[in-house]
Amino acid sequence: MKGFRKYYGQKILWYLITLVFAVVLNFVLPRLMPGDPVSAIVSNQASGITDATAVEKMYQEYTEKFGIDKPLYQQFFAWIGNAVKGDFGVSFSQYPRTVSDIISNSAMWTICLQLPAIIVGWLLGNILGAVAAYMKGLWDKAILPVFLFVSNIPAFGMATILLFIFAIRMHVLPSSGAYGFDLIPSASWTFVKSILVHYQLPFWSIVLITIGGQAVGMRSMSIYELNADYVKYSRFLGIKDGKIVKYVFRNAMLPQITGLALSLGTMMGGALVAEIMFSYPGLGSTLLSAVTGRDYPLLSACTLIITIMVLVANLLVELVYGVIDPRVKANQQD
Amino acid sequence: MKNTIKQAFHSSKFVTGFVIFMFVLVTIFVYPLIVTRDPLEMVGQGNFFKPGTYVAVSDVVGTNSNYRLNVDTSAAKLETGLSVENRAMMADWLEKYGEVPASDIDVTDAESLVALWNEKYDPKTVIKGMTIAVRNQYMRLNNQIQHALKDSGVIIAEKNEETGELEEAKSYDGREFVNQGDLPNTQTFLLGTDNFGRDVLTELVAATKVSLGVGIIAGVIATIIGLILGLLAGYVGGFVDNLITFITNLFTVIPSFVLLILISYSVSESARGTTMVGILIGITAWPWTTRSVRSQVISLRNRDHVNLSKLSGHSMMRIVFTDILPYIASYVVMAFILQISSGILAEAQLSMLGLGPSTTTTATLGLMMNWATQYSAHTSGTWWAYFPVILVIALISFSLNLMNTGLDQIFNPQLRD
Amino acid sequence: MGKVMLEVNNLKTKYVTRFKEDVYAVDNVSLKIEEGKSLGVAGESGCGKSTLALSLIGYYFPPLHYMSGEIIIDGKNISGMKPDDVRKNILGNEVAYIPQAAMNALNPTQKIIRFVEDVIHAHDKSVSKKDIYDMARERFAILGLPEMVLQKHAVELSGGMKQRTVIAISTILSPKVLIADEPSSALDVTSQKMVIKMMRELMEKGFIKSMIFITHELPLLYNVTDDIMVMYAGQIVEHGTAKEMVFDPLHPYSKGLMGSIIVPEEGVRDRKLTAIPGTPPNLKHPPEGCRFADRCKYATPTCRAMEISNIELPNGRSYRCLMSERKVREVYASEGL
Repeated sequence: MKGFRKYYGQKILWYLITLVFAVVLNFVLPRLMPGDPVSAIVSNQASGITDATAVEKMYQEYTEKFGIDKPLYQQFFAWIGNAVKGDFGVSFSQYPRTVSDIISNSAMWTICLQLPAIIVGWLLGNILGAVAAYMKGLWDKAILPVFLFVSNIPAFGMATILLFIFAIRMHVLPSSGAYGFDLIPSASWTFVKSILVHYQLPFWSIVLITIGGQAVGMRSMSIYELNADYVKYSRFLGIKDGKIVKYVFRNAMLPQITGLALSLGTMMGGALVAEIMFSYPGLGSTLLSAVTGRDYPLLSACTLIITIMVLVANLLVELVYGVIDPRVKANQQD
Repeated sequence: MKNTIKQAFHSSKFVTGFVIFMFVLVTIFVYPLIVTRDPLEMVGQGNFFKPGTYVAVSDVVGTNSNYRLNVDTSAAKLETGLSVENRAMMADWLEKYGEVPASDIDVTDAESLVALWNEKYDPKTVIKGMTIAVRNQYMRLNNQIQHALKDSGVIIAEKNEETGELEEAKSYDGREFVNQGDLPNTQTFLLGTDNFGRDVLTELVAATKVSLGVGIIAGVIATIIGLILGLLAGYVGGFVDNLITFITNLFTVIPSFVLLILISYSVSESARGTTMVGILIGITAWPWTTRSVRSQVISLRNRDHVNLSKLSGHSMMRIVFTDILPYIASYVVMAFILQISSGILAEAQLSMLGLGPSTTTTATLGLMMNWATQYSAHTSGTWWAYFPVILVIALISFSLNLMNTGLDQIFNPQLRD
Repeated sequence: MGKVMLEVNNLKTKYVTRFKEDVYAVDNVSLKIEEGKSLGVAGESGCGKSTLALSLIGYYFPPLHYMSGEIIIDGKNISGMKPDDVRKNILGNEVAYIPQAAMNALNPTQKIIRFVEDVIHAHDKSVSKKDIYDMARERFAILGLPEMVLQKHAVELSGGMKQRTVIAISTILSPKVLIADEPSSALDVTSQKMVIKMMRELMEKGFIKSMIFITHELPLLYNVTDDIMVMYAGQIVEHGTAKEMVFDPLHPYSKGLMGSIIVPEEGVRDRKLTAIPGTPPNLKHPPEGCRFADRCKYATPTCRAMEISNIELPNGRSYRCLMSERKVREVYASEGL
């Protein structure tokens, strides 16, 4: 038990430190670049305004707001203080909406889309990969190149392929948005149905991409495990193949969990861009509108929330892993 | 070294990947020699012309060598002349008022559909409960169909200079043909044109070259940083190792695309050319290489030949270059290959967020995607503007990954299956 | 003469390599073991002795293939049985196997007791978990394993504990024949002795009826088994009692094998150390005549020309050579061996 507490303590501490670093980077990186962000913002905002005094006034307002005249560390603590309270300022491009309002809305869509999609894709991918490893022969030979190829299609590519087939050609599913554009969010059945219908394409494109990569990994992991000595030993003791396959899949699955944690960031990045293809109102589309609208507060809040989401997901995966893999426990006792 | 390369070509995976990659490489260098058009030239006025050969209308009319072919042209005319909406309307009518079972109606076969229509539809019959507007709609549809069926031909008229009247110069019926080779002006766009009216194929070839360059710059930078950090951490060990490992783990957990977005946004647009984007991707992509180099170096550090070198008093640089680098070279090459492929993908994703290279002189795969998306190519069904781009990205990354897997199986025999 | 536990007649098996080549690793092997007896199989690496171990079990899956011959365990001929019947009725309870790499033989993520349950339930579903636990605890105690081992995962056990756990699990169903494939090669000398002692003890207590030991160290078998067989290139070249084989080998190969190994035993210790020149033949295309001919200094053209049959001596010894017993002894004596 002591070993477990140590493991969890270390993990949580490590993630806290990482979080601090991530927050600092989020703050510092844009400010490290030549030219201060305020003048960049003002010059972008004021590009249509010819009145010099108005521009000057704007500049002063933003200087004050960002505290750009104060030393960097003071700016940082002021920013942190606000961020902890959930105050990321007002969006430039969607004035007068606050950044936290926009973010909390789009983060919800992204979580509801990506979390189930990645989990489902991971599970299906692992099952298919394991089956491919177990069946060997023709089925494996035919299916592996397909998985390999699918895993190399970028997420946005898969999104457009599904979009083209199901929305443009077959007209069976809507092409964009999270619900019908003529609906107002409500608890009605029509609205829920509309959400579900709009959910399909983004969901399945993320699932398919995840399946490809996971199946390839699980297949080679399973083949490696199928050749392990314990498999032969179990066979020689007369244990049924079905049971042995269970051992193998469990053992092959465990490294896949850590693999998931490590690739989560990359996967989310791809999925966020895929969201854009569907104009899904998640963080991907918000990022795009922040970039095109030169909305700095919105952009930095987006990146921060994405980082936190990845960190939390990673931490959860590692904590779960500690419980289900006895090897972690054994390592802690040494 | 020679032996290693020979071995690599025994792996079918490596060879498949290599062939695909070489095909891409040869194409991007040979194609510009054949098609010398500027890849960003706006050939078409208007956006998203579909793939095919474009023939000057005046050439067709003006050509003197006409051929008569004994073929039935009305069926094909019908096929292209009847829009999807019209077919749906016909099917709807036939099912509702013509009492034809839905299973007998095939909207994809224009000829049988029209035959069915002509059999059932009579403009004179009045159907109860049908509004006049709807009835007129069907009558218009019927006129259209009858018009398409008619093979009346076309008359070319010329203006008489003196009288100012139009006089018949030539007339063509449906069976006159011209040979494409007789026409002086044809333009073939195998993949159509994009939103700016540029030839997609030519643009795609140029963009592939630039994107590959971005990927290679990113790969080189990430590999150099990863190699140096990995060597330091693995070989020096102790505090240096702890520090580098800590930082590496940090940057593996903090998503690199987040860092990439932040940095790219901060770099002024004027400075953000394709080279800069490559550099930025490189400096955020090194953690993977560092991890793999470090673990390889650690497994080598206490091998006999390294210890022997140490005892002989060789300098650290010499040991690293003669006793360690040659042994990890294969892993570094593998990591480099993967870095190129993920670099190309990173450029594409960055460009789609509007943070890609800000340039008007070259195209990249990401920028092509970005333009196509901005002009809603993906929701309007103009597939040629984005599918080829996706296919190229997937093919490059597929070929590089295949080569990597092939090499991996050679260097890690336990992975063989 | 005791009851025959295992009888093998003219067993032939092959395995297929990665490059789809057939390797005839067990060629016409016959042997017999009685109750309470143990047999050692010795030979260089690659002589087919591990393949023989797998073939004796009668459970074939790729790359190993059964070709011909019969395996009779306690009167039951298993060579014609369906694979699933072999699995259910033979493997684990009639014949048990201790693998070469005992260190990795246990599933790292499974509790030992769960695995014991799986092994027993594979043959008899009706045994209750409590009975299994009691049985396992008792057996583990005999091998000096504390009860808490049952609740551990393999990764939490030390090397020696894993080794003993594997022996305990392999013998938990009291098999008639136990086949141990170099159970001691990964261990140091003291642990080797201990393992061997434990296995003898298990046999004395009647938990196993007979044993086959497979090793590349012929002299090691002297302490352990009653009989010894020497294997070369897929064939048995000599078969005799342990004492005969160690002190008085007849086949030139057995002779060489004894000469090429340092033996700590009294009486053989001061012998001259000699190496056998050459390498074993390729089993993808085994030579027609005597397989040892190319390395044998007494070989004549006749040796290479014809299939060599076994010479059976009246005391039950046999060896595969053209030279008669007297001739062999003369040759060895003339060389001062």
